[in-house]
Amino acid sequence: MATATVKKRRVRINGCVAAAQVAKYADVDVIAAYPIRPYTATMMALAQMVANGELDAEYIVADSEHSQLSIAHGASSSGARVFTGSSGVGVQFAYELYSPISGTRMPVQMMIADRTLDPPGDFGSEHTDALSTRDMGWLMGWSCDAQEAFDNHLLGFRIGEDHRVLLPQMVCQDGFFVSHVTTDVELPDPGQVKEFLPPYRHPYPLDPRRPVSHGPQIMPEQGPPLQLERARAMEGAVPVIEQAHEEFARIFGRRYDPWIEEFMTDDAEVVFFIQGAHAVTARYAIRHMRERGAKVGLVRLKTIRPYPTDRVKDALSKFKVVGVMETNMGLGSVSSGGVLYAEVCAALYESPKRPLVFSFMAGMGGEAIVLKEFYWMTQKMLDAQKRGAIEKRTHWVGFEE
Amino acid sequence: MSTKGTHIPDWLAVPFAGITPAPSQNKGQDLFPTGNWRAIRPVYRDKMPPCNNACGTNEKIQGYLDLVKRGKYLDAYALVKEDMPFPSVTGRVCYHPCEQACNRGQYDEAISIRAVERFLGDLGQALPRDVVKAGPPNGKKVAVVGSGPAGHSAAYQLARLGYAVTILEKSPKAGGLNRGGIPDWVLPQDVLDREIERLVELGITIKTSTEVGKDVTWDQLKKNYDACVLAVGLTEPNSVRAEGEDKKGVHYGLPFLRDIGMGTSDVKLGPRVAVIGGGNTAIDCAREALRQGAEEVTLITVETAAEEMPCVPEDLHDMLAEGVDLKHGWAMTAALGNGKVEALQLHPARFSGAINASPIAVDREAPAERFAVDNVIIAVGQHASLKWLPEEFKNERGTIAIDRFGRLGDTKFFAAGDIVQLGSGQPLMVVNAVGDGKRVAFNLDKVLRGEPLQERMVSIDVITDLARMNMTYFPKFPRVQQEMLAPASRRRTQDEVIRAFSEEQAMEEANRCFSCGTCNACDNCYLVCPEPCIVRSVRSNGLYKILVDYCKGCRVCIEECPTGCLEGVPELDFDTGVVRMDTAFAITQGLHGRQAEELRRLPEKAPKDIENWR
Repeated sequence: MATATVKKRRVRINGCVAAAQVAKYADVDVIAAYPIRPYTATMMALAQMVANGELDAEYIVADSEHSQLSIAHGASSSGARVFTGSSGVGVQFAYELYSPISGTRMPVQMMIADRTLDPPGDFGSEHTDALSTRDMGWLMGWSCDAQEAFDNHLLGFRIGEDHRVLLPQMVCQDGFFVSHVTTDVELPDPGQVKEFLPPYRHPYPLDPRRPVSHGPQIMPEQGPPLQLERARAMEGAVPVIEQAHEEFARIFGRRYDPWIEEFMTDDAEVVFFIQGAHAVTARYAIRHMRERGAKVGLVRLKTIRPYPTDRVKDALSKFKVVGVMETNMGLGSVSSGGVLYAEVCAALYESPKRPLVFSFMAGMGGEAIVLKEFYWMTQKMLDAQKRGAIEKRTHWVGFEE
Repeated sequence: MSTKGTHIPDWLAVPFAGITPAPSQNKGQDLFPTGNWRAIRPVYRDKMPPCNNACGTNEKIQGYLDLVKRGKYLDAYALVKEDMPFPSVTGRVCYHPCEQACNRGQYDEAISIRAVERFLGDLGQALPRDVVKAGPPNGKKVAVVGSGPAGHSAAYQLARLGYAVTILEKSPKAGGLNRGGIPDWVLPQDVLDREIERLVELGITIKTSTEVGKDVTWDQLKKNYDACVLAVGLTEPNSVRAEGEDKKGVHYGLPFLRDIGMGTSDVKLGPRVAVIGGGNTAIDCAREALRQGAEEVTLITVETAAEEMPCVPEDLHDMLAEGVDLKHGWAMTAALGNGKVEALQLHPARFSGAINASPIAVDREAPAERFAVDNVIIAVGQHASLKWLPEEFKNERGTIAIDRFGRLGDTKFFAAGDIVQLGSGQPLMVVNAVGDGKRVAFNLDKVLRGEPLQERMVSIDVITDLARMNMTYFPKFPRVQQEMLAPASRRRTQDEVIRAFSEEQAMEEANRCFSCGTCNACDNCYLVCPEPCIVRSVRSNGLYKILVDYCKGCRVCIEECPTGCLEGVPELDFDTGVVRMDTAFAITQGLHGRQAEELRRLPEKAPKDIENWR
């Protein structure tokens, strides 16, 4: 499509509204809503669009997140393109539905604006809400700003609805850091979206004219083949994701590596491994430290499911030290910190050149990670490099000397 | 790539995401035979409804009530006609043991079965041609002696079986007890005439005024027919052994009714009439006496209370409503008067045993009572007249000796009805005689065809416990009452006392039937099954099918079956339709069966030594 005919618009919106904009561009059929901060703003924006007649969709307000996801599941089973979302404990309350939705291969799209789990009631961003569902068969990844959130939501529909995949997507963004921070976002021309995202058709929707059973009871020995099929779908998504990102770059002019973003890693010896919004401040800190001679870089994980094991291995094997930024809780986990550490170490295990790996509990409870803390963490990595050994697997940033 | 190199064997191939055709369609259930979850299997198992069981001829009462419910009157009539040749008669005269047994009686009020039967009987009477046809002729001739209930029933069933039947009737008109023992105001003559016509339409020859022993001999019966059914009934009235029974004005119950019924009566009753006896005939006599001109009628019984009388309670009630008096605890010991009875001598009396068939103990020491009457009608039972019967076939009760199949020794003679049942314990009622005639006809047929005779089957599962049904589905609803002639206008008329049901009334009453223990195609199981694993091809009784490969045994259909027809049977009791966990041994359709086949072949493929085992 020639750029001249394209009517792009540059607007200033936050991550919540960016997600809502994609639902509108994708012309979703059903929106299943239940309010919880901070994602609520997305549903507020969509409610306005439906009320204004900008979007023709069934907007269903559920009585809880469990019902909300059940509605999403049912609507998707009938062949609708469905958009839903949640935050924090809301994500948890709907937990029962995550496996059924992916198991019946319903490409529901769910927007997550992260929020710390209770207790206590804390609105700040922590990734535990979404990460706790990471093995339920949903495609999952984090955006670090509103533009990327917009793009990832659009990519999510395209990838999840592909008949080679047919899996639900959890498109995550940090609460407040992305969801409530207003930035410039380029909204595409509807024609571009039309070209990128074909109309959705599930191959076997529930239709009284052609009755089928979804999720029937099965014999015990029929479980394994179905699980294998779901595993194949998840693995089969890898080439589809790459292809979709190619198409995206061609149509919209923004090219992303679907798996990892590397920043100032060319000659880096120590790197942060990070996902989500703190990458924005990390980039600033790294530039600042680079000016002072530290060979520090950043590797940002963009898609955690399916997990790009080989890409992580190849990328991280180049460095001496990897500091995993955990903005999540993995109580009693491998590192006694977060859950990413194990994912990183496992990917590196088969590498002939394994860097030192340890993790930082940083940004917990939605705290900003300030420049001073990046210095401190970088110093820890340089120390380990000098020492040739880690001090411990997990550091609690702000609570140690 | 963990899934690289994986393959799913054919016998485990599943469709995309397990999405399958609906279980009710296109073998949708073959793929996921979840029947193995089931510990209890629902089974449609019809029980014997208590009405059918209590009926003397085992009419399929629940069945025809159900058909009436659905407005299928002709089908209902055809069903009742299987066991009952004249529902128009029993619909009027029957003592309806079915209604006493009716489970609805424990709940609100019993179904008015007799009234519905009469509705069907009258419907049959109005048909230009009966729905019942004679069987293809088998070339065999059978004589039936007597055209009362037992003879009528035997002749009817034999004609349906293809026999050439001749009825020999002593009286000038056929009908036997139906005509001679039942007053017109209970059973109008033209109703009975129509039922006799139906016998002729079946090809049955009726020879009236033909008395066995007089017009036909035993040897002629033996020679001229392949077999013979003796249904001569009890024709001779019992005496009370009182002095002066031979006086004018003393009558006997059955001949009194019979002569009126045959139109040959010349009885003129005075204003005061006593009837001796406490049974149904005595009651009929008392009520007939009112219609024959009596002013004061008293029923004198040995029974000391009305409740002890061996009669149908509502007939007693109707008699009292018509103004007959009761006098309990007395026996007639003499008819007093000069040539004509003027008074009765009564002595206090009671039955010597516990039942009122036991000998009567009369207290002659006590002062006698003189009871002034113009006529007395003695109605204390009947006995047989068997002068024509070879001695070898008579028994000590003065009836015909038969084996348990109704057969006289190893002859081709059979006997049925009161002539064999007197003193047997079976009530001497029309419907019992009809049942007797039916069973003997079938036994006779077996004997002539050289087939072994079978014992009369007794139902072991008569459903009488309301807890076995789901009463939630049956709101309480009062019995539809039959209209009756006002008692005051009943005297002096032979008009029927009890009025027929209208179509609406018959249907309304049939609608009250629980269909105890029997599938009546109510569709409840079909609707409540949470999985579509109950199917029906045609909406008709007993035509539901449970897809056992799929049914998980949740028992909802069993609990919700209104009639108690559906039962839960332990799955281990079955060896068909079984889907078990131990798949290697399961032989069933679909994927499961294919897997079972695969697993069965495993031992053949297995290498001998463990090292090569992969």
